[in-house]
Amino acid sequence: MSDATMATPPSVVEAGALEHGDLLAHDAVPAALISMRDIWKTYQMGSEELHALRGVSFDVQRGEYMAIIGPSGSGKSTLMNLIGCLDTPSQGRYWINGKLVSAMDDDELARIRNKEIGFVFQTFNLLARATALHNVELPLIYAGISSADRHERARQSLASVELTDRMTHRPNELSGGQRQRVAIARALVNHPSLLLADEPTGALDSHTSVEIMNLFEKLHSDGNTIIVVTHEPDIAARAHRVISIRDGQIERDERIK
Amino acid sequence: MTFDDIKESALLAFSTVRANKLRSALTILGVGIGVVTLTFMVSIIQGLNKAFADQIEALGSNTIFVSKFDPSFGRTRPTSEELHRKDLDVDDVEAIRRESPSLESIAPIRRKIAVSVRHLDRQSDSPILFGVTPSYEFTLSQYVGRGRFITDADLSERANVCVLAQDVVRALFPYEDPLDKEIKIGGTPYRIVGVMETLGNFFGQSRDNSIFIPLSSFDKFWRDIEPPEVIFFVIVRPRSRAYVKPAIDEITDILRRRRQVPPRAPNNFGISSQDSLLDFYNQLTGATWLVLTAISFVALMIGGIGVMNIMLVSVTERTREIGIRKAVGATRADILWQFLIEAVVLTGIGGISGLFVGEVASLLMNKYSPLPAFVPVWAIFVGIGISASVGIVFGLWPAWKAARLDPIEALRYE
Repeated sequence: MSDATMATPPSVVEAGALEHGDLLAHDAVPAALISMRDIWKTYQMGSEELHALRGVSFDVQRGEYMAIIGPSGSGKSTLMNLIGCLDTPSQGRYWINGKLVSAMDDDELARIRNKEIGFVFQTFNLLARATALHNVELPLIYAGISSADRHERARQSLASVELTDRMTHRPNELSGGQRQRVAIARALVNHPSLLLADEPTGALDSHTSVEIMNLFEKLHSDGNTIIVVTHEPDIAARAHRVISIRDGQIERDERIK
Repeated sequence: MTFDDIKESALLAFSTVRANKLRSALTILGVGIGVVTLTFMVSIIQGLNKAFADQIEALGSNTIFVSKFDPSFGRTRPTSEELHRKDLDVDDVEAIRRESPSLESIAPIRRKIAVSVRHLDRQSDSPILFGVTPSYEFTLSQYVGRGRFITDADLSERANVCVLAQDVVRALFPYEDPLDKEIKIGGTPYRIVGVMETLGNFFGQSRDNSIFIPLSSFDKFWRDIEPPEVIFFVIVRPRSRAYVKPAIDEITDILRRRRQVPPRAPNNFGISSQDSLLDFYNQLTGATWLVLTAISFVALMIGGIGVMNIMLVSVTERTREIGIRKAVGATRADILWQFLIEAVVLTGIGGISGLFVGEVASLLMNKYSPLPAFVPVWAIFVGIGISASVGIVFGLWPAWKAARLDPIEALRYE
């Protein structure tokens, strides 16, 4: 374990200062879509504390296309889980779309994921026994949408990724690129604020990867906010902004387009 | 949790059941056996109860039985004190008839368990011989079908006449009219003057294997044979059901006085109504009921443990699915319900198939065995309710385990 990851977190006094006073009053609800303030994520490994994230702060505006890049062990997966509201930080505050999620419980997080975030995973994570249509409907089921509406919206979403003719196919009847497009259709179906992709081309050949990245570009130009987490520089290069993570901290934050 | 959600979960559960046919079938079988046991047990007990109530009714409801000792339900034999008591006699009967205002009629009866009867070359050794008076018919609501019953004239003449019940007619006169024929009862010739109506069975035992002769004629030959081969008893018919209790009190007073029972000493005779027969019967089936319920419960427990086992396997196998569902917004309650409903669908299918098998079994039993069986409507609802509860109880822990899964861990699960 490097010295950097073992660095001490801010003291309790410093963290407490952030929670108090006038400072809170004017930045209570940020205007940015995503707003992370001094985020720490600490894991207890036996008697040692492992700081996966050490004071990360950044904002993402609506309509941005951003990549998070970093070597394995850099903390980018941890950061992705936090952005995706699959986890909560040990310290610091995180707002998405004006909602403070860093203090939410499991069920509140589930609702935020349902409403605000569309996930695209490296291994697609489709339900093997369900058709493409049913996979895309899944977020709408948990959003409490009636089955007629669900069908219609899932159909539209599949059409937007050009899979109208594959709606009744199961994942094992689809190619890798088609599966990832089903996953993207699922991510988009509930009109989330953020499309969050974790190594979206990691399981695809280079030709299909290009196809998927072109799709992301199109989705961005349609007005979607996209964050892609990757360790591949050429995938990151498609984005308009790149945040590099190293040893649990932001090493660089650069706009490239 | 809307109806739509439940429908969705139920459809999903059915597709899971279909996807794991053998596994689901075995689990369903476990619960099914539990419910079959339950249904079958209930149907037997209900059948017995119903049959018993019908039979009691048929025996002539509300009659009171008086003899020197109580009929030995649940006991093997009377005590020697009881056997040595003085018998009731015709004077007691006369006193009761005169002094008890609550009774409508009274019938003294002497009964011999088995007599041999013959007509030409046909013979039967099993009939029960009753020495009776004309009041027998009305008191016991057993009537002559053809010919006539025993009359007062028969009684005073000690006539050798008899009335046959249907089984005896079948045994001795399969092809001819028995009226006015002669049969030999224990070697003495009797003329047949009447044939009784059919009474039917009481728990598989025919009630039509009887011969009736005048009480006075009976006493010529069999009066002094010891019980239990020959016993003397009195059947009393009160004015109505409401008079059962007063009649018992009145008769008890009369007999205690006549048999000189000191105050506070117990009766030295037996008196009971059909109600006491029912009471005894209910006690008997109450205990059986408890045992059978316990057995069914154990069977259902075993089925339930099977359900829990398979649901735990299912949760582990579908960890990744749970992770996906949580990632797209399923709350803990959503996941909990999904797996609970799946467990209830499993046990519900088990319950319904169990009920079906139990119902068929009880129908077959009714048809091909002397034991009556009957599935009451409430047992169907109870069966479905219980199997669903088994699903909830045994599905709760696996479902809770699924609901608590961390989405990050679950998505990483291979």
